[in-house]
Amino acid sequence: MQGVDRRIRVLIAKPGLDGHDRGAKVVARALRDAGMEVIYTGLRQTPEMIVSAAIQEDVDAIGLSILSGAHMHYFREVKRLLEEEGASDILLFGGGIIPDEDVPKLKALGVAAVFGPGTSTQEIVDFLRQAVPERWKAQGLA
Amino acid sequence: MLRTHAQTAGVSLTAQQPLNNIARVAIQALAAVLGGTNSLHTDAYDEALALPTEESATIALRTQQIIAYETGVTHTIDPLAGSYYVEWLTDEMERQAMEIIEEIRRMGGMVRAIEEGYFLRELAEASYRYQQEVERKERIIVGVNAFTDEIPLKVPIQLVDPEVERVQAERLARVRRERDPKRVEEALKGLRRAAVEGQNTMPHFVECALAYCTLGEMMDVLREVYGTYQEPAYV
Repeated sequence: MQGVDRRIRVLIAKPGLDGHDRGAKVVARALRDAGMEVIYTGLRQTPEMIVSAAIQEDVDAIGLSILSGAHMHYFREVKRLLEEEGASDILLFGGGIIPDEDVPKLKALGVAAVFGPGTSTQEIVDFLRQAVPERWKAQGLA
Repeated sequence: MLRTHAQTAGVSLTAQQPLNNIARVAIQALAAVLGGTNSLHTDAYDEALALPTEESATIALRTQQIIAYETGVTHTIDPLAGSYYVEWLTDEMERQAMEIIEEIRRMGGMVRAIEEGYFLRELAEASYRYQQEVERKERIIVGVNAFTDEIPLKVPIQLVDPEVERVQAERLARVRRERDPKRVEEALKGLRRAAVEGQNTMPHFVECALAYCTLGEMMDVLREVYGTYQEPAYV
């Protein structure tokens, strides 16, 4: 279905050994309550697993939750694999404990948004409701 | 005798105005001591941001020492004895704990409850509820949804030097080069056999360690034999 009432599909993923999944689960739940279809990967995913799940599930966006400090590495890897698989149209965003200095670097990599502590779940919902349909429009899908 | 360890609540630490966490940790640590804990861990104020710095870890320790040596709270075994309200709270907590234990029993026991994702579900429910309360300001967190700063206060955080990875990789490569490969192979084989046959694996772990098997090699054997836990995906 590619009409205007198409539902936004999001993959929420926890890459690496970081076991802090409270935030990822809260965000996943909030997006679902907002009417989106949400797939949560569970812990300890590799970038390969995340990208493969995203393609299989045909998601519009991937949200990475990283609190371990390894964000530069994982965002870069996921972005690289998305490009390699010809799926760079999937919107990449994320959150967790990410120093302010790194946010512009992530944006330069092609990360659409970075949500730090104190972000309300509504902000993330609003971001996806705006950014995803924009992409649909750009691709002539909506 | 019931012996207890208490740790201050990681979830109560805020990334915003991180120095406030020193006060939070002190209050929680005092509560644990008033409750008669035998062992206590105090979180460092910067743990919502990174691994603790030397300084923040020291303050966490000093917090315990201030409670132990300056407050007088250790002069009596149960400083809150006889407090109507605390006794009522204790009874209430016990009653609610028993309700949960009963619920787990009805589900068919602990293992069953884990397999069915009961705990993950309860945790997810509670954290979502908490987040909603914070966002609606039904629950006030100082520095987060009230008394916030225009300009965020920065504290120095621990950054791990990428050099550490290189040094460790080098050490690992050296260990692999210099150990006796025959003994490594035998030790891992022994561990695999014990795991498959359901024997005591501990002597084999000791032999593996003596043979300089890596932790990864030992865990790979167990992963191969037992598989890995996949949490039920509940959000």
